[in-house]
Amino acid sequence: MKDVLARAAAQISNVVLGKPDQVRLSIACLLANGHLLIEDLPGMGKTTLAHALARTFSLDFNRVQFTSDMLPADIIGVSIFDPDTRKFTLREGPVFCQLLLADEINRATPKTQGALLEAMEERQVTLDGATRALPEPFFVVATQNPVTQAGTFPLPESQLDRFLMRISLGYPAADVERQLLAGEDRRQASLALPPVIELPALQKLMALVTRVRASNDLVDYVQRILACSRDSGLFVAGLSPRAGLGLLRAARAWALLGSRDYVIPEDVQTVLGPVVEHRLSPVSGGATGTATQQLLEAVPVVRGS
Amino acid sequence: MARVYQVPAHAFRWLALGVVLAVLPHLVSAPLWLQAAAVVLVVWRLLIQRGRLRMPGILLRTAMLFALSGATLWSYGTVLGPAAGVALLVAAFCLKLLEMFRLRDAYVVVVLSYFVLATVFLLYRNALVTIYVLVVLCIITAALIGINHPEAGVRSRTHLRVAGGLMLQATPLMLVLFVLVPRIEPLWNLPSDKREARTGMSDSMSPGEISRLAQSDELAFRVEFDGEPPPMRERYWRGLTYSWFNGRRWSQATPQNINSGELVYRPGDRPPDWYERLRNDRQGEQYRYRVLLEPTQQPWMYALTVPFVDDRRHMVARDFRLLATSEIRDLYTYRVTSWTEMTLDQPLPAWERRLNLSLPSEGNPQARAMAERWREEAGTDTNFANRMLMHFRNQPFYYTLEPPLLGDQRVDDFLFNTRRGFCEHYAQTMAFMLRAAGIPARIVAGYQGGEVNTLGSHLLIRQSDAHVWVEAWLDQRGWVQMDPTAAVAPERIEMGLREALEQQGETDAFGALDGFTNSALMQQLGLFTDYYEFLWQKWVVGYEQEQQGQLLSGLFGEITPVRLAIIMGVAAGSVLMLMFLLMLWGNRKPPLHWWQQEYWSMRKLLVRAGVDDNIQHGPRGMLAGVRAQSPAAAGAFEQWCQMYETLVYARPDLLAEGGGRRKRMRQLRRQVARSLRR
Repeated sequence: MKDVLARAAAQISNVVLGKPDQVRLSIACLLANGHLLIEDLPGMGKTTLAHALARTFSLDFNRVQFTSDMLPADIIGVSIFDPDTRKFTLREGPVFCQLLLADEINRATPKTQGALLEAMEERQVTLDGATRALPEPFFVVATQNPVTQAGTFPLPESQLDRFLMRISLGYPAADVERQLLAGEDRRQASLALPPVIELPALQKLMALVTRVRASNDLVDYVQRILACSRDSGLFVAGLSPRAGLGLLRAARAWALLGSRDYVIPEDVQTVLGPVVEHRLSPVSGGATGTATQQLLEAVPVVRGS
Repeated sequence: MARVYQVPAHAFRWLALGVVLAVLPHLVSAPLWLQAAAVVLVVWRLLIQRGRLRMPGILLRTAMLFALSGATLWSYGTVLGPAAGVALLVAAFCLKLLEMFRLRDAYVVVVLSYFVLATVFLLYRNALVTIYVLVVLCIITAALIGINHPEAGVRSRTHLRVAGGLMLQATPLMLVLFVLVPRIEPLWNLPSDKREARTGMSDSMSPGEISRLAQSDELAFRVEFDGEPPPMRERYWRGLTYSWFNGRRWSQATPQNINSGELVYRPGDRPPDWYERLRNDRQGEQYRYRVLLEPTQQPWMYALTVPFVDDRRHMVARDFRLLATSEIRDLYTYRVTSWTEMTLDQPLPAWERRLNLSLPSEGNPQARAMAERWREEAGTDTNFANRMLMHFRNQPFYYTLEPPLLGDQRVDDFLFNTRRGFCEHYAQTMAFMLRAAGIPARIVAGYQGGEVNTLGSHLLIRQSDAHVWVEAWLDQRGWVQMDPTAAVAPERIEMGLREALEQQGETDAFGALDGFTNSALMQQLGLFTDYYEFLWQKWVVGYEQEQQGQLLSGLFGEITPVRLAIIMGVAAGSVLMLMFLLMLWGNRKPPLHWWQQEYWSMRKLLVRAGVDDNIQHGPRGMLAGVRAQSPAAAGAFEQWCQMYETLVYARPDLLAEGGGRRKRMRQLRRQVARSLRR
């Protein structure tokens, strides 16, 4: 069971070269039943990563390219009048799938973003008064251009909170890039990947994540991190309880990826950055370093006197 | 005046209640116009708060101020003095309610409420009122907290809780200040209220005065004896002596051209001869006691004959009275030692003999004639006095609170005609007769008897115990106390006025309330409240300079200002420190578990050895450092890490079992320490 996960990670890493940590984090995010936000410049392999994930976990995959003239119906679907049957029939939008790649989500207007984010949170869609559940699992990988780019609508903080993790890929290392240039087209390769984990196995793994043990001392550590984000004055607003639950869930998934059935502080420390960075805005003129560094340096692993 | 500050609703409730309760005690005895004005103004303010009425304009407010000041002047005749001043204060305070335009005005109202509340102590000083004041204090504080509260939706009950908490926190400090802050004699005295008539003795005895006094149930003073009190019939509380008779009234006499040292002795001064002799004559039974005297607005004090004191606040007079050096305006406590079996056979100076023999040149011819005849028949002064007492006892004399009016020849009329009288009649007749017979005599006024509160075993002496008796100078025996009332109505002396009058078939005097106040329950309740009032007066109101000095010097030795300052500082400081520690203790963190201590011990070890000082490293994080820097220690450390991880994160259920794991981890840590040292 556990080596399956290792094989899946290896397979994706064959396509997304030189980014083993990001690959493992995205798998952890999937196992933790959370949505993933990939923030990077265009052409860094975001879409390739999403494709590879979908193929490896044999997930029903849809892709939506967000644009500024897009409407909620373009994602959720629309009722159409059929002249033959004289009835309205529902045409499902691309959201009805297991893995939705929402490409460049910050190019769409807030209204459209909102429609997607609501579906992400509720895992269901309401159309013409009828509520329709989305498939299980439902996993959104959204990509986002850095907001400094022209023509973008940055996601508000409240909606960023819906994503369990935010990662960025970044430029590849020199030797990896040489390998990349020499090899075949990665996008094509990702589409040709064989499935490693089928749906029942994935669901089993996801259930397993919730059973990974988090001991009292570990929960205490997580809580002290949350409290520190609120009380230290380093950040404009502290982490929400939802962020705390997400942090613990992500740490559990990471522990499972490490073939453990219990969480250790290092798991929390590894997933801390992807889970909390997009939820915290540091106080201007505060300490240097990322939010993660500041938190980790302020909170000892074991409670002191 | 466009914008008017709105007191938040949650605070206004307390403010209104606090204002009403602070003013209420003043209104109870206030003139009717003030009561009416207070009610109108408070209701007006309430209606403004509800939006029914507007704030009055400046003209109307000024007019009301003048009207209320005028009313004060009209009904008190002055605006000075406690009563008039407080009335003016209450009136102005209620007016201020109609002037709450700004937040600042609300603060003024709150501060004034505190002040008005404090002035309640000018009127009442008993324990119940003190509890009342504390409750109102809490309510006003709640209003103050409410005014300062930033949120609109807060519940007003919260303010009261916070205020109560504040007051509880302040209590220990209050107690320290109460015990330790030096009691300084006031720099000035409030002008006393002449209008405020006090029941009690006065410096002369006009007809009917004592019998009027005897109908008052008011408390005169309380006495606490160190041991057993003397029996009822010996409890003669001496207050004043009347030596001067002008044919109608007896009054105190201050002899002219006599050195004051001849008349009074103040402890600490050089004792005059008469006092020296008095002190040397001390013998027989003695009683030590403490008197808690209600304010009288007069300087005289009450004690058993012969009183000795050693406090410079008091003076002993040649006629065995005690005097305070100033008028008694507050509850006044003093300690006395009385020697009750002394012979007072001091030589009688000529001026004193003359004074105690003086009679008007004419009047009461029948009595004078009888006195002279009897004196001749008796042979000795003592026989004469006894015959006088026998006469009262054997002839149909009656003891009554409602004697018939006497004519111009008061003594003749009483002796031969009416024969119905109260103690004052018997005493003045006896004194007159003695003087007419050439025996120096004077009237002593004070109280006789007193009720024992069985709860506290202290004595209660009421105005109804007021009594006058006679002292005569007999050869070889000196001053001798004689009580003609005891001859007529022994019950008065043995059991008290009430029983005496009942025996005489006279019960109307005490009115219809008797049945009610006499019921056993009410009597028990009365004893009970009196007992707590007594304790309150004894320990709180009566805690004055003298008691404080005794307590402090008993605890800390001689009291100097520097030492007192140090004691106060230390006491207040330790109270605050104690509260601070309590707060810390309330906020303390739970103690560390042994495995957490184990982690920190290991951490300390590694930091000291310079292996790893990264705070974010758990056991696994530290392992890399140990491997790199000190491979020798790596083996033991890895085992330690594994145990830690297993116990703390993987199988926390094992922690409960214990089973030597703690010991094992400690051993591993020591191993690591040894390898690191090498």
